[in-house]
Amino acid sequence: MTETHRQITLPAELESLPFFREHIKAACQGAAGLDDQAIYDVLLAVDEICTNIITHGYAGMDPGSIILNVEFAPQALVVTISDFGHAFEPVEPPAPNANASIEEREIGGLGLFFVFSSVDDIQYESSPVGNTTRLIKKRAA
Amino acid sequence: MEINITKGNVDIIAVSGSIDALTSSELVKTLNDHIHDGHPNVIVDFGKVEFMSSAGLRAILASVKEARAAGGDFRLASPQPGIDKVLKMAGFYNIVKIYPTVEEALASFG
Repeated sequence: MTETHRQITLPAELESLPFFREHIKAACQGAAGLDDQAIYDVLLAVDEICTNIITHGYAGMDPGSIILNVEFAPQALVVTISDFGHAFEPVEPPAPNANASIEEREIGGLGLFFVFSSVDDIQYESSPVGNTTRLIKKRAA
Repeated sequence: MEINITKGNVDIIAVSGSIDALTSSELVKTLNDHIHDGHPNVIVDFGKVEFMSSAGLRAILASVKEARAAGGDFRLASPQPGIDKVLKMAGFYNIVKIYPTVEEALASFG
């Protein structure tokens, strides 16, 4: 399969989240080696990363944008998310304590836990011109 | 996201579409208003929810606590596979009653 790229640029605001997800869904439609669950995993990871960029990365700044690029490598789907806000490196949080009572449950960190659970690799780079988060999801042979 | 409420012995709140950081606050408000309007027992039908992020889990947790504080319970029904995986990853089966169908959720209230 030849490599294909699909890119979308939208304002860094919560209203853009459904459009980012639609973009991923449309790009993955009929792609070999990605079943419905694999696509859901990618949608979840992208949504959580974009939510963090919107609510934390651009906090206290003028409104900016997020660029989402979808690329099919032979054995993986690669989603590159670029932004120009504050650096916000995704760090894997501890798994939620499934035995904790409802009063003790903490939801903070769950989004990043989902990101790390849903894709095979996460690469992050920050430079004075912007930040790049790359999510890699392997495709089934 | 759309929310439809069907009144009955136990009210069924059917959610459709996506529960994300954009829509989750509307869901919490609708559920909590309903709970405080004299309906502490609710079944939330997830059959038509296509997508849910951690923001949706925050909404569920807030409303389950609200329902229980009001002497009732929030029971979730019919999560689709992607959503079910999210609920399982977060360990929500230990803190929220989740049923495969609305009928089973209804029966659970006796």
